[in-house]
Amino acid sequence: MAEAMELQWVSLEPSPVIEAYKKDVDRTLIRENLKLTPDERIKKMISVLRFVEEVRRTSTSGK
Amino acid sequence: MTDFARLLQALVSGGVEFIIIGGVAATAHGSAHVTADLDIVYRRTPQNIARLAEALSPLQPYIRGAPPGLPFQFDVETIRRGLNFTLVTVAGDLDAMGEATGGGTYEALLSRSETRLLFGLDVRFVDLETLIHLKRAAGRPKDLERIAELEAISEERRKT
Repeated sequence: MAEAMELQWVSLEPSPVIEAYKKDVDRTLIRENLKLTPDERIKKMISVLRFVEEVRRTSTSGK
Repeated sequence: MTDFARLLQALVSGGVEFIIIGGVAATAHGSAHVTADLDIVYRRTPQNIARLAEALSPLQPYIRGAPPGLPFQFDVETIRRGLNFTLVTVAGDLDAMGEATGGGTYEALLSRSETRLLFGLDVRFVDLETLIHLKRAAGRPKDLERIAELEAISEERRKT
């Protein structure tokens, strides 16, 4: 089963749209995350996800 | 909620060759976004397809969003005939891709991936530049914000 070894060519030139979005990126969050290990970053994301789900569950059950 | 540790444990203990892409890879690189599913690219060899089917079997994979009761079995034949599968399992949502948009087969991504310890498991995920490449190749409007963040991460890394 021969599989492609190369990625398709994609322009990685700066895009005006992406540059516009970049201005709104919160770099303080990125800098804090970069102080953590990948494992710690995933666990932090999961704790945020749990919090979001808990908020959703609470708001749904309150209706 | 997706139990990422359980999904990864099933894949790793089953000896499946796979590379993490998507939101979890972005998080591992420093993204502040939250993701609800695990996206992987699996190797399309007959042996690995068999390992993937076996490893996920206890998690009862089913087509995400499909009505219940369809005669779907995530077995060797199904995987061999298909390529990319969006699945729901008892451990949460899993996208198992034979090829990500942009030519992202396992073989193409292997040299562009790195191994890190997640949940005590050695797992492989695509490097940051390749993740940006795949997101750009996908060309989805919803990814523009994510690409901007990933490029910002790349810039921040270069500063340190």
